[in-house]
Amino acid sequence: MKYDVVVVGAGPAGSTTAGYAAKNGAKVIILERRSEVGVPVLCGEGINKNVDKFEILKGTSRWIANRMDGARVYAPNGTCVTLKAERAGSETGYVIYRDIFDQTLAASAVKWGAEIQLNTNVTGLLKENGKIVGVKAQHFNKKIEIKADIIIGADGVESRVGKWAGINTTLKPVDLESCAQYTLTNVDVEKEYCHFYVGKEIAPGGYVWIFPKSKDTANVGIGVLASLSKPGLALQLLDRFIENHPWLKNGEPIRLLAGADPVGEPVESVRGNLILVGDAARHVDPITGGGLTTALEGGRIAGEVIGKAVNEKRFDEATLKEYEVRWQQTYARKLKRNYIAKDIFLGFDDKTLNMLADSLKDYNFDEITTLGLIKALVSKHPTLLGKLLPLIKLSTV
Amino acid sequence: MVKPKAHVDEVKCLSCGACVSVCPQDAILITAGKARVNKNICSSCYICVKTCPVAAISEGEA
Repeated sequence: MKYDVVVVGAGPAGSTTAGYAAKNGAKVIILERRSEVGVPVLCGEGINKNVDKFEILKGTSRWIANRMDGARVYAPNGTCVTLKAERAGSETGYVIYRDIFDQTLAASAVKWGAEIQLNTNVTGLLKENGKIVGVKAQHFNKKIEIKADIIIGADGVESRVGKWAGINTTLKPVDLESCAQYTLTNVDVEKEYCHFYVGKEIAPGGYVWIFPKSKDTANVGIGVLASLSKPGLALQLLDRFIENHPWLKNGEPIRLLAGADPVGEPVESVRGNLILVGDAARHVDPITGGGLTTALEGGRIAGEVIGKAVNEKRFDEATLKEYEVRWQQTYARKLKRNYIAKDIFLGFDDKTLNMLADSLKDYNFDEITTLGLIKALVSKHPTLLGKLLPLIKLSTV
Repeated sequence: MVKPKAHVDEVKCLSCGACVSVCPQDAILITAGKARVNKNICSSCYICVKTCPVAAISEGEA
């Protein structure tokens, strides 16, 4: 069987790409290694409200567990800065059920004409005369080949599709968060906000999060920058945090997961007739580690570009590069800016973070202006100015 | 002396793939729900050991 498009991976980026490509006239198949879409969940499950705008998610809201008003960020000494949703960056809005979320996207993709095949582990690219013409895979105990004009790598943080095509996707330890997360029940959390805790003792090069699913159940997780990590550090620090937190100490885990979150820069996303989307393309906000919104945004763009390519029967790199141009216009600047900001934040010691929080704790973020923000910061702690200068410069670029 | 190759404790491994994404040699694969190190390719850099969130990979035995 020959397809226009084969998509490797049925996560959000894969299903969204497949869905919009099918909707635009392409014959699409999604290959998924696992035996259930969206399972196991490997995610903090926080997402921006602006996902509401995607047609592929319309029709059901079963994937929403909790709606939040904003975020609270806690400095090492406990000082809290509250951000309303509009100001809290890309990852507040809802806490979701990622399994249902992924299945909703896959169901829409199928409704729009895509096929899905589970239990199919892609093992390599199929080549003829040096050109990629499909993929090789293992389906249960059977070796299969699937031919397609366009190949999509939506195979996540540990992407191999890109590597096979010659794109360097290996993450440096400084660009990867080593993560662990419990879903705890019998907790007592403030469910109107998601909560972030920063500091060198709490989570070196990362943060601890509490994403409430309800008043008594929450995702509590940690990301530690791999370059600052030690074997098992993520889980150790997370256990310690939970033991000492009044909301959480009576909690019992109903789920434990570990994972890696890319916080580097995007890689080359089009090589010949092969395209990378989502985590595989490193389309993740380097500050928050959130990648759902960009996965959907990029997937939709990829799907539209592919639809056009299929209709015009043009599968060359020049045609597909439109995907790269369009995602760059849409979110490359933000990713770049936050990548530089990540580096600046990494240089802040706990004392600086405490001063920063103290300056911002009473700041009204609804009327945010660069000048107002600088005034608020330096009026209390003038020494902050020097440290923040690179960030201020960045925000005015 | 040859440095030992990275070793996965399959009981501890949650098959999250963190090791796969940092391995500069592309020597680790998730197979049948566990991380597996191809010892012929492993360069004993131990980046995976440091990265594993649950301490399921060690420096192995000489």
